[in-house]
Amino acid sequence: MSKTDTDKAGSREPHNGEPISKFVIIDGNELHFRSGETILQAAARADIDIPTICHDPRLTPAGACRMCLVEVEGARLMQPACAAKTTPGMVVRTQTGKVERNRKFILSLHLADTVQDRETAEDNNPSKLFELADRYGTAGEWTQVESPRQGRSQDENPFIEFRADRCIACSLCTRYCDEVEAVSAITLAHRGAHTTISTVDQLDLTDTTCELCGGCVDVCPTGAMTEKAGLAWGKPERELEKVRTTCNFCGVGCQIDLNVDQEANRVVKVTSPPPGTTVNDGNLCVKGRFANDFIHHEERLTQPLVRGEDGELRPTSWEDALDRTTKGLLGVAERHGPDSLAFISSSRCTGEENYLLQKMARAAFGTHNIHQCAAT
Amino acid sequence: MTNSIPEIRDADFLFVTGSNTSEAHPIIAMEMKRAVGRGAKLAVADPRAIWMTEISDWHMQLNPGTDVWLLNAMAHVIVTEGLESREWIEANTEHFESVRETVLRYPPEEAEKITGVPAEMIREVARAYATTEKAGIYYTLGITEHTTGTDNVYALSNLVLMTGHLGIRSAGMNPLRGQNNVQGANDSGATPVYYPGYQRADEAEIRQKFADHWGVPQSETTGLNLNEMMKAMGDGRLRGLFLMGEDIVISEPNVGRVEKAMNELEFVVVQDIFFNESCRYADVVLPAACFAEKEGVFTNSDRRVQRVRKAVEPPGEARADWQIILEIMKRAGLKQPNYANVREIYAEMASLSPKFGGISHHRIEKEGGLQWPVETPDAPSTEYLHKGGVLRGKGLFQAVEFRPPFEVADPEYPLVLSTGRTLYHYNAATQTRRSEGLSKKQPEAFVEVSRKDARKLGLQDGQMVDVVSRRGRVRCRAMVSRQVRRGSIWMPFHFPEARTNYLTTDAGDAVTGTGEYKVCAARLEPVQDSEPKQVFPGAFALAGEA
Repeated sequence: MSKTDTDKAGSREPHNGEPISKFVIIDGNELHFRSGETILQAAARADIDIPTICHDPRLTPAGACRMCLVEVEGARLMQPACAAKTTPGMVVRTQTGKVERNRKFILSLHLADTVQDRETAEDNNPSKLFELADRYGTAGEWTQVESPRQGRSQDENPFIEFRADRCIACSLCTRYCDEVEAVSAITLAHRGAHTTISTVDQLDLTDTTCELCGGCVDVCPTGAMTEKAGLAWGKPERELEKVRTTCNFCGVGCQIDLNVDQEANRVVKVTSPPPGTTVNDGNLCVKGRFANDFIHHEERLTQPLVRGEDGELRPTSWEDALDRTTKGLLGVAERHGPDSLAFISSSRCTGEENYLLQKMARAAFGTHNIHQCAAT
Repeated sequence: MTNSIPEIRDADFLFVTGSNTSEAHPIIAMEMKRAVGRGAKLAVADPRAIWMTEISDWHMQLNPGTDVWLLNAMAHVIVTEGLESREWIEANTEHFESVRETVLRYPPEEAEKITGVPAEMIREVARAYATTEKAGIYYTLGITEHTTGTDNVYALSNLVLMTGHLGIRSAGMNPLRGQNNVQGANDSGATPVYYPGYQRADEAEIRQKFADHWGVPQSETTGLNLNEMMKAMGDGRLRGLFLMGEDIVISEPNVGRVEKAMNELEFVVVQDIFFNESCRYADVVLPAACFAEKEGVFTNSDRRVQRVRKAVEPPGEARADWQIILEIMKRAGLKQPNYANVREIYAEMASLSPKFGGISHHRIEKEGGLQWPVETPDAPSTEYLHKGGVLRGKGLFQAVEFRPPFEVADPEYPLVLSTGRTLYHYNAATQTRRSEGLSKKQPEAFVEVSRKDARKLGLQDGQMVDVVSRRGRVRCRAMVSRQVRRGSIWMPFHFPEARTNYLTTDAGDAVTGTGEYKVCAARLEPVQDSEPKQVFPGAFALAGEA
């Protein structure tokens, strides 16, 4: 059984109802496009794959990584597909020798600027750089440059680790922090080869406007921004099984992927489905992404408890607990009538469970005294 | 929500009222931020300054509990300036005249005196709302947690109906649901007045339908809502309680009274994932599986039924809630189908509820989340409601008059206390307080106090303070904040060691029974000899503090 589903709710298509009337030619295909659409967007609708590193559909294009350069007829230089807007009759080529050579060259540059051993690079999050390197066959061609890029030596925030040696300064994280979460807690600092990610006065993230949403981790293509929980567990994300489910906090219904170490029966961390596929558009908040310690918390109830003659709660068997529950409830109903019972259901439990509890109240115990915290 | 979450980004006007969106619904706030980034206008009506007011075009900082005055005054502007949508009203609604007559008695100048919101701002917002086509209203508990909660909602829906902002994309009337499955719990009939699918329990025909299907006659006695239950526990009408996944001695208003009543009960069962505060009153405690350990569906705020999937095994002997309930029903002698899994339970509910008749686990696996109503297996998901006309036939205007809150400030209790939630914790915080990281970010209870009130009381930022109401006394840390106005204080209710709900009143809304968590009278008594401590790193409230 597939454990994931695709929900088109967050589709990136513009909804302005504007008729599609213009066309562009990409790799010989005549494609319609909407006004304002970029080459990348028009190509994506026709399943023409243009590799990107610093692009995210939620963000204003930066055109920073130069991975998506394509040839446009009549243009002197290659154009970044993520930022260049389509124009009527535009002719674009995405698979020429020149374009391919550029991709390899750009990838080599970025790879020389980050951890070069794939296993180390992917000790936690998968690396988009290495995925592209696989596809374009360029890994390890250039020796690693010694980057003067600095991290912040001490940041005791509980969730997010920044590893400067992996950063390629693509600015995805800072742009996400500005444009989507809109708190501008992290920023590019310094110039040239020294460019790094920092905070105002190099403060701990927890002392800044950061709301710990973890979007920076999610967009990072190199694993420079990473979750402390995953690092601490010590198994790379690739070896964890993703189980798509619905977040159990507020009513937005974010789709989340629980990253599970099956051998250890353990939810190691939570990641977000890609943007454009679910109601949350790839976004999560601090609770959805990081507040999952409770699942495996040592204080979880693990045994039924019943109160003894002495007034103390003690562990017992399920048989005993269920018998006592039923007898207790039936006893009250016999002595005082069914409407002396009340059933409080839970907006935290599933639809099926709520259905069953109201059925139990109405059919097994004969009362409409069933409610939940919807009223509070 | 009449509309869908992904539509928010395309709205041109957002009226956010009684919703601290960026803290309680951060992902919806991201959609709003996106709309504002695109150029949409944002009006926020809230007694507190909140993150969203930082990017809003208008912050209508109303006095707590004066919502009807504010909303009626907006309606006043719309009808006196002829901005109402006459054709739409004519075609789709009833009783506009009664609302028109009522709101004429709510001029903005008078509203300014009562709400504290400048008359000119009320005019501007009303005009912008009425004249923008894609104008959506977003509200949550700041509207409903009042003794006038239902009136507040009617006043909002009057605005929607008179402007015709309904049945189109990115507009509508959108209550943002607080819990993951509060929509689903209601949909499933976990409410005294409805069977699953909003079929009325007071209709004999409906009762017969369920009696036939379940094979058991159905009671004709009206059930109690949660607020009534709490009171019935106190006066002996209730003697037994089954509590699933809810910590009522933290979350209910005036919990001092609830605790006393719990002690009087003959039999209490608590089914939960943690030993919560309510377990102290239990005769039996049943260990349940959490969301990551079971299968099922949650229905979100935009009516989207989505899957919950099992990722890990529950700890020890804990079992899924549905398995436990089935065992109890069996022991109580109810004949049941032999459900093999939750899919079959959902199918039973769908077969009895026309609104979800076309929804099944199978379809969700194939198509992703489905938004009800979906009445047949081939019917599509419903992105927004009231398309092509109001669902009930005619949208019903409801004239509402202002009524003051149950309790107002007086010389003995000179401050108005509102309660709410923060970004870093969730409700009774049984889950989030167990996150080390979150506890570090927000370790303890606090009360926000305006600078002026703090100065008057000689209260320092970070000092301990007793918050006192007619019902109780709670000690926590004072946060001298620019978010609240003079005369108002604000507390989150996440912290069991400083239980805010000892203070709140259990006066409820007449229709829904929802408690008035947003308004009660209180006073502050600074605790002498307490060392002030700053424990709120990076708190928004302090940002920009001079």
